Amino acid sequence: MELALSDDQVQILDAIDTLAKPYASVPIHDISFALTSAELTRELAEGGFLDVAAMEELGPETAALVVERLARLPFAVEAAASALVRPLLDSELPRPLCLIEEGALGRAVRYLAPGATVVMVGSGGVRSFVATADHVAEAHDESIFAYPMAVLKAQPAEADLRQYNVPASEVLTQWRIGLAAEASGLMAAALAATVTYTSERKQFGLPIATFQALRHRLAEAQVVTNGAYWMTMKAAATRDSGDAALAALHAQEAARRVTYDFHQFLGAMGMTLEHPLHLWTYRLKALTSELGGRGANALAAAEAIWG
Amino acid sequence: MNFDWTPEHQAFRERLRAFLKAELPDNWESIAHHGPGSAEITAFSRQFCGRLAAAGMLFPHWPVSMGGKGLDAWYQTILAEEMWAAGEPRGAQYMNVNWIGPTLMKYGSEQQKKTLLPPIVAGNAIWCQGFSEPNSGSDLASLRTRAVLDAGEYVINGQKIWTSYAGLADNCFLLTRTSDDRKRGITILIVPMDTPGITVRQIPSIIGEGDIHEVFFDDVIVPESARFGDEGQAWEIISYSLRNERLGIPRYHLARAALDRAVALLKARGDWKGEAVKIEAAKAAALTETARNACYAIVDKRVKEQPIGPEASTARYNVVMAERAVSEFVVEYLPQALIDAEPYLKMHHQRGIVAGIASGAAEIQLNIIATEVLELPREAR
Repeated sequence: MELALSDDQVQILDAIDTLAKPYASVPIHDISFALTSAELTRELAEGGFLDVAAMEELGPETAALVVERLARLPFAVEAAASALVRPLLDSELPRPLCLIEEGALGRAVRYLAPGATVVMVGSGGVRSFVATADHVAEAHDESIFAYPMAVLKAQPAEADLRQYNVPASEVLTQWRIGLAAEASGLMAAALAATVTYTSERKQFGLPIATFQALRHRLAEAQVVTNGAYWMTMKAAATRDSGDAALAALHAQEAARRVTYDFHQFLGAMGMTLEHPLHLWTYRLKALTSELGGRGANALAAAEAIWG
Repeated sequence: MNFDWTPEHQAFRERLRAFLKAELPDNWESIAHHGPGSAEITAFSRQFCGRLAAAGMLFPHWPVSMGGKGLDAWYQTILAEEMWAAGEPRGAQYMNVNWIGPTLMKYGSEQQKKTLLPPIVAGNAIWCQGFSEPNSGSDLASLRTRAVLDAGEYVINGQKIWTSYAGLADNCFLLTRTSDDRKRGITILIVPMDTPGITVRQIPSIIGEGDIHEVFFDDVIVPESARFGDEGQAWEIISYSLRNERLGIPRYHLARAALDRAVALLKARGDWKGEAVKIEAAKAAALTETARNACYAIVDKRVKEQPIGPEASTARYNVVMAERAVSEFVVEYLPQALIDAEPYLKMHHQRGIVAGIASGAAEIQLNIIATEVLELPREAR
C-alpha cells in the first residue's frame, strides 16, 4: 500500500498547473457553450503530458492524474482517450481520439471532427479509422453538452478499418478509468466554483453558504467527489476491470447527484452563460451517458466481481 | 500509488485467518449471533483475547515499549477487518486495542498504568466510555455529570446514556464536569463499574444486544487518584485518543462481506438473474469500495505519521452511505427468513443504522467537512 503521489507525479501536476495558468479562467466576455483552445491542446501534446502512460515509471495512474487535473480547466481538452487508450493501440494515432461503442452511428461523439481518430470498441474487437468530412454530419447546432461534439453519420467499409490485437475488454477498462478521472476533475472544479459563489453571495445579510441547507449538500458533494478520485486512482493502479467499472459507476452516480445541486445553489446565475459552471456540469452530463450509463457500468462491475 | 498488500501484510492476514479457524468453536455462529456487546461474546472474548495476545496478535501495532511489535497501522487495519468479518470475537475489547491502551500509556499516572494496563494486555478487560448524556449528544461539551472533589475524593452525580458495553464493563472512562468552563471544565475519571451508587440499565434496542445503556451515578465516590490527566484536560485527551476512532470499526469491510454473502445466497437460490439485482449490488459495492479507499487513504497517512485532519469525516460519511446501501440491498433482495438465519446479514440489517449515529452523527461530519475541508464561512448560530 502506498497511496501518496510520487515526487515525479507531483512535479508533473505542478508543470501542468504552470502550463495551464493562462487557461485557468474563462476569457472575459466569452460566453461559449463549449470552450476549447487549440493552443492549449498543442502545448500539452508537445510537453508530452498525454503520453505519460507509456512511461514505465509513470504508467496509467499518472495518466489518470493528468486527465483529472486537466478536466478542472474551463477549457475542454481531449485528454482521457489520448492519455489512457492511445498507448494501448498506437501512440502515433492522430489526435483527438474519439471512443465509440460499436453501432453508435447517428450519435453525437465528443471531439469528433475531420482528422480525428475514431476508435470503435465492441464484439467486433477494436478497430479505428481517421474521420473525414464524409463521416461527420455538419454541426447544425452547437453542442448541448459543453464539449465540441458532432454526429458520426458514416464509417468506412469494413476492409478500410484498422484492426488491433488488443482485446476490447482492455480498451473498455482504460476508457472507464479515463471517464472516471475526467468526471473527478470536473466535479472538483464545479464544486470549487460553487463553493466560491455561495461563500460570496449574500442573502438575508449572510453568505448563503452559512445556511445548513446548502452546507450539508455541498459537504456531500465533497464526499462523492473525493470518492470518485480514490476509485479512479485505485482502478488506474490495479488496471482491474471490476475496479474500473466500479470507478465509472461511482463517477456517474456522483455526477448525477451533484450537477443539479450546483446550478440550484447559484440560483438564477446558474442559468447563465456568464458564470462558467456549465462548462464542468454539462460535460459531466455528457459523461453520465457514456458507456451505457450507470446501469451498463453497474452490470459490467457485477459481472467482473461476482460473475 | 500501490493498492496491493505487501507480502508481510498478506502473511499477517493469513495468520489471523488460520488463528480464527483454529480458535473459533464449532458453535461460534450461535455465539456471534448475539452481537459484539452481548454477554455471550463478552464472556468468549475474555478467553479469546488472551490467546490472541499469546500469539502476538492482540496489538501488533503498539510500540515495543508497550509490549507491541511496533508494526504499522496497516496491521491494525488488517486485524480489525479480519476480526469484524468473523463476527468480532474480541467483543468490546477492540476498543482497548484501538485507543484505551494507547491513551493509558500516554496520559496515565504510573499507578494507573500499573493497575489498568496488565488486564488489557492479557486480553481480559472490558471498558465502556461514559460520554453522551441525555442532553449532551452531538453537543458533547455541554455535558453535566458533576464530579466534586472533597477531601481527596470525587463525588459523582449525573447520568450517561447510549453507553456501549456498560452492562459488562469492568471500568468506565468517564467524562465529568468539574467546573463551568465549557471544554476546560471537563475531567476524566476512571471509575470501576462495581463502585456503589452506579446503576446500569440496558435500553431495549433494534440494533442488537448489549449495545446501549443508561448509566446513573448517585453519590458515587472514587479517590482523587482515579482522575485521569489533570482537571480540565479531558477535551485535549479525548481529541487525541478519538482521532482514529471514527474509523475504529472497519465498517466498509463488514458491509462488503455482507454484500458478498448476500450475492452468494442469491446465486445459491437461483435468484441472481435479471439486471435489477445486479445493478443494485454493484451500486452498493461501489459505495463499500469508495469507503474502503477513503479509509485506507487515512491509514496511509497514519503510517507516515502525518496529521489526520477533516478527511476522517469524509471517510466516515462514505462509510455511512456504504452501510446503508448494503443494508437496503439485503432487505430488498433477500427473504426475511434468510436474513434472520444468517448471523452476519442479520447483524448488518440491525446495525446499518449505527454508522450514521455512533462516534459523531453524520450531520456533524458534514458540518466538519463544510467548515474545514470546503472552508465555507461558518454558519450563524
